[in-house]
Amino acid sequence: MTAGPQIALSKPAGVLQAPADPVFRQIRDLVYKVSGIYQVEEKLYLLADGCGRRMRQLNISTPREYWDRLTAHTNRDAEMRSLLNEVTIGETSLFRSQPQVDAIRKVILPELISEKSKQIIKRLRIWSAGCSTGEEAYTLAMVMMEEQAHLLKDWTVEILATDLNDRSIETAKAGIYGDYALRSTNDYFKRKYFDPAADDKLQVKPEVKKLINFSRLNLHDDSKMLFMKGLDLIFCCNVLIYFDGPSKSKVVNHFFNDLNSGGYFFLGTSESLLKLNEQFHLVHFPGAIAYWKPSRTGKKP
Amino acid sequence: MSTGVTSTITERVNRIETMPSIPAVLLPLMELLNAPPDKVKLDEVVKLVSYDNTIALQTLRIASSPLFGLPRAPQSIKAAVMTLGLRQVGAMVLTSCLGQAFPTKGWALDPTVFWRHSLGCAMVCRKFSERLHIIDADKAYMAALLHDMGFLVNCLMFPEEFADALERASQESIPLVDAEQVTMGFTHCQTGRALAEKWRLATEIVQVVAHHHDIEHCEADHSLVSLVHLGDLLCRMRNLGYGYYERQKVDLVSDPAWSVLVKEHREMENIDLVRFTFELDEDLTEIDQLVSAIFGSGKAASAR
Repeated sequence: MTAGPQIALSKPAGVLQAPADPVFRQIRDLVYKVSGIYQVEEKLYLLADGCGRRMRQLNISTPREYWDRLTAHTNRDAEMRSLLNEVTIGETSLFRSQPQVDAIRKVILPELISEKSKQIIKRLRIWSAGCSTGEEAYTLAMVMMEEQAHLLKDWTVEILATDLNDRSIETAKAGIYGDYALRSTNDYFKRKYFDPAADDKLQVKPEVKKLINFSRLNLHDDSKMLFMKGLDLIFCCNVLIYFDGPSKSKVVNHFFNDLNSGGYFFLGTSESLLKLNEQFHLVHFPGAIAYWKPSRTGKKP
Repeated sequence: MSTGVTSTITERVNRIETMPSIPAVLLPLMELLNAPPDKVKLDEVVKLVSYDNTIALQTLRIASSPLFGLPRAPQSIKAAVMTLGLRQVGAMVLTSCLGQAFPTKGWALDPTVFWRHSLGCAMVCRKFSERLHIIDADKAYMAALLHDMGFLVNCLMFPEEFADALERASQESIPLVDAEQVTMGFTHCQTGRALAEKWRLATEIVQVVAHHHDIEHCEADHSLVSLVHLGDLLCRMRNLGYGYYERQKVDLVSDPAWSVLVKEHREMENIDLVRFTFELDEDLTEIDQLVSAIFGSGKAASAR
């Protein structure tokens, strides 16, 4: 095509595969306001599917009625939790966000290491808070092991992974995953860090597990939260969405205090901290967002 | 950068005969379109659009593209202009003029990558302005669409030097403007300015083209330059950069440009930047569709 660029235009009608009923956009906005989870237009159908499943269970026939259930009904908070469960279900997998992994390897680790290089103990502490069945913690462990030959040479890496649910912790400790959880894991990592397990599944190798300390922790438990100190990276993916406003901001404040200056806090990829903590700086990396606890030097990024 | 280098660039830009000249209809058309919405004379716009064959054809083609989902293609320039809306006509004419002025073959910078970034930035700046009522949204759109026109000049006038700069930027994962400075000794801001001045674009556009990477040296209207600076940064962090990984951490709220805008527009403080970012991701589909419509299918997606 030889013609030069031409352009313009407002939102094209009917191009995106969005559900027709405008109520779903209202629900999307409500979900965002309550939980900080944002469903982009392209994924609005996932929200509509989730609502559909809830509606069938509740025997509700129209999205408008379901909207009333979410807003006016006495059980609206419980219903919102059920909907959030539907929306975030199946989101966990290893290497779920490549841009996040890239940001850690290419930008954050070099920065942390240069800032901490003067310290006598060369140690990085990472916390997967609300680790569920361990996918995120193992991803981090493998990424750190990849860097151990270069960037993290002579560094000790500790990964804490906690969850409220004992059964999740047991599953996490076993470290056995099937195709679905491994759908974003490339062959290089599969070969290097996994052993074959029964039913065509793969099990994380012992040397990866060694890096992680799995334990049970309730994020509402203030005394335990005060005990978590000296962290460089905290990940808390799709967990805070279930908390009410006041407890959410309390937990986020704990996270802020538990981080070292210069450390980073990550939420899920479509999750926002809303206005819960004004001390964190929102920072962008290519394709990824994080919250940064400013360094003591006050150095701008 | 020294005055010596600046005058060398200006000289070189002025001297070279292949330097694109501004299409005749552009300035009068922009003047017409910049009038307040209720004062724009539709018939005169239509007359001017019809005057330039290429622009007229493109107007018809875009208006009949499936993006608008019209049951049948508009049969006249007037119908096409009305379908597109005056704002779109303005943006389209500008882009079309730039496209005519610059050949797309043999660019160091992939044109689809360039237009994705420019369009993305234009959309971000327009949305920001609309959301906060800070700057005239159409003006912001135009300025952002043109902010990197210096890259076009570089592709055309300094192809080898610029290819080296691009290579270095992607090898070292550094901002393209820094790589230009190191390898060429000048940047797209200077070459863009030379062309923008030669074309006698509005002063505020010239300022955006010249200073979107160094707002502190901006000579007037800091708001618009600051807005485009932020839009540019955000786009580069959301898959709308120059086609390589920029090893960058961007803290928009701590950027001096943010302070400039907050000082003049308090409501800036209330913006939800995360949601704004997610919404920009939604626009990627639309941007890709546009770029695909321009360059043929498939290319825009691979530029991501």
